[in-house]
Amino acid sequence: MNPVIPERTLVCWCPAWAVSTARRTDPSLASAPVAVVERGARGLVVCAVSREARAEDVVIGIRRREAEARCAGLVVVERDPAAEARAFEAVARALEPITPAVVLERPGVLSFPTRGPSRYFGGDEQLAARVLEIVDGQIVDGQVAPDARIGIADGAFAARLATRTTAQDGGDGRVTVVVPGATATFLAPWPVAVLGQTFGDRPDEGAAFADLLRRLGLRTLGDLAALPAPSVLGRFGLDGAHAHRLASGGGEHAAPPAPPPPDLVETCELDPPATRVDEAAFAAKSLADRLIERLDELGLACDRVIVEAETEHGERHTRCWRHEGGLTATALVARVRWQLDAWLVDRGERDEEATGGLMLLRLAPDRVVPATTRQLGFWGGDVAAHDLAARVLARLQGMLGHDTVATAVVGGGRAPSERIRWVPWGEPRGDAQPAPAPWPGAIPGPAPARVHTDPVPAELLDERGEPVRVSGRGEASAAPAVLRCAALPDGGGPVAAWAGPWPHDLRWWQAASGREPGTPARSERDRRGESATRRRRALWQVVLRDDVACLVVVEGGRAAVEAVYD
Amino acid sequence: MTAAPALPRRDAEARARLREVAGRARPLTLSRERLLPVAEPLAELLPGGGLRRGTVVSVEGRGATGATSLAWTLAAAATDAGEWAAAVDLHGTLGMESAAASGVALERFPVVRGVTPDRWATVVAALLDGITLVLAEVPRHARAGDVRRIVARARERDAVLVALPTPGATWSGEAALRFVSEGGAWHGIACGAGPVTGRAVRVRVGGRGEAARHRVGALADTG
Repeated sequence: MNPVIPERTLVCWCPAWAVSTARRTDPSLASAPVAVVERGARGLVVCAVSREARAEDVVIGIRRREAEARCAGLVVVERDPAAEARAFEAVARALEPITPAVVLERPGVLSFPTRGPSRYFGGDEQLAARVLEIVDGQIVDGQVAPDARIGIADGAFAARLATRTTAQDGGDGRVTVVVPGATATFLAPWPVAVLGQTFGDRPDEGAAFADLLRRLGLRTLGDLAALPAPSVLGRFGLDGAHAHRLASGGGEHAAPPAPPPPDLVETCELDPPATRVDEAAFAAKSLADRLIERLDELGLACDRVIVEAETEHGERHTRCWRHEGGLTATALVARVRWQLDAWLVDRGERDEEATGGLMLLRLAPDRVVPATTRQLGFWGGDVAAHDLAARVLARLQGMLGHDTVATAVVGGGRAPSERIRWVPWGEPRGDAQPAPAPWPGAIPGPAPARVHTDPVPAELLDERGEPVRVSGRGEASAAPAVLRCAALPDGGGPVAAWAGPWPHDLRWWQAASGREPGTPARSERDRRGESATRRRRALWQVVLRDDVACLVVVEGGRAAVEAVYD
Repeated sequence: MTAAPALPRRDAEARARLREVAGRARPLTLSRERLLPVAEPLAELLPGGGLRRGTVVSVEGRGATGATSLAWTLAAAATDAGEWAAAVDLHGTLGMESAAASGVALERFPVVRGVTPDRWATVVAALLDGITLVLAEVPRHARAGDVRRIVARARERDAVLVALPTPGATWSGEAALRFVSEGGAWHGIACGAGPVTGRAVRVRVGGRGEAARHRVGALADTG
């Protein structure tokens, strides 16, 4: 086997870029412990941590509440990918005098081939020092210690690992240069878990693959590289062959990537010129879809794409983005959006930004490889229907807003409105888990077909016309006799039958709040019953004389209709 | 038509497979193949046992009579067939857990929430463009022109529109099938005894053509 010698590459990694971005927006966070959280399938999960917070054992992947428990005074910030990309664009632009071939991988990581610049500056070390100086100059505002890291090695995979080498391996820990030809030796001691990251959009599969290798006794990349390539291909398939190639210091692709056919460039003119990000992103969406479709037809996949825009005043901006594991339409659109954000939003702050609206948008694949793992449905069929639906939904999202088009995921919770989580269209639903287990305290019986997320104020009265109350012990003052509410047909009426009350003591470990039912919930968290303060309420199931069944919530002495069985 | 001579007569399995392939490749489909089969017991009330593509179905009730549950059963017909369904939720009150319990596959059932009445017609028309079954709540004062346009769009796009007017109101456009749910007594609940366990909803179906004869049936309600 004669592996393709990969191109010598410099990777620059700014650890916890999300934290740097947050500090840039809010300088008061400079010395505070900061954790950036991201909403995922498990709720708010920490995705980046500042040095101060890491010292307190806050690590990536734990939930927000746990992070707050570990570190007192932790400042939690919600992630803003657009702002990250915007801030990183400045770093990429600062490096342009050194090389024209900067490739962004994600906000916080960029790479470029070192062949030309290295020779010009007199060696890899000199180049690395130079890059570090420029990047530090962009990031540091005097308060934060610079922490960007540089790795140079044969191939982007090895260079990326080199950035993660710590100080004990020699040097000052910020620059690691793997001498040419020593990449395989450098890679050998790394654990196989690092291969998980090369799966791109399929992190679960990556983790499962690394776990399988470990259980088979292949603990390091060296162990994997020692196996014969054909056996690895036979046992683990294409993903395995790819991992084996990387582990033995080979390139990312079996065959050298070919320059794409020139007719693959997708262009769209914007008339009138787009001055807002969502206008341009809307156009970019169809552009990206077209490009991916064309690549699919040709049996090609693309892992690097050049985003190019021209403004009314003839300025031209280009930037190259790379994505692990090949670009999908969604991933591509996200990157184009970030890039447009960087060009359009910061306008006016710096001279070289776009001065007018965008006239022209162009997407060109930078290099293409034969697609080996993608196949469309033989008869079109389901895939075609899915594509059509996806296009319509994306259009509506562009028209009405991202969050208005959503699918529901049924989760756990006691009241009906707490049991539903809305996932905006296009985001992962995270429903790979099995169906939720029975939830203690949930209302038994069929689920109501109408749920008022903000319960509608109502009157639940007993025979004497007094409001029905529920004591702290969950005992009702009297049996309900009349229910009146605007959400019911004819405004309610006499009660024929009832069940309950089911007392709910929410967040009993917190101080009590005075929120009354019927007042609008303060936030989405509040609405989902996750408010930070203690709430006590009781639920009644009430059936009126005319067979109208509903759920009534009594909280703080006030009643409200939460759901109607329709 | 005689059977193709190349195939041995006994080979019914191969012939069935061939018919299936031919069916998929054929540009024309018979009208009965354009039905979305609806689950029992509602199917008995429908001509052909399903919803015909390109038509409008209205589901009315005077509120809390089971109209929404009935609409879920119709939406489930689309997702069961592997097709997409979508809902237009005007007030954000559709209970999705109940939809899931009625058999709607939630991952193929996006909901457009918080649609203002002035955009309602645009949203419904856009959804009909690419989605097989659109379950749309109808605002109280929908414009007659909008309604006509949407009905025409459903026919043109071969989609099913399930119109769910606000309780007490009626669908002003044309409809191939008109469901009226009339409610029913709840089981399992008494004063202070256990919670409701379900009920049988009386459903009246009317409409044009084959469906003109009014039929009445019962549907087990899920909530």
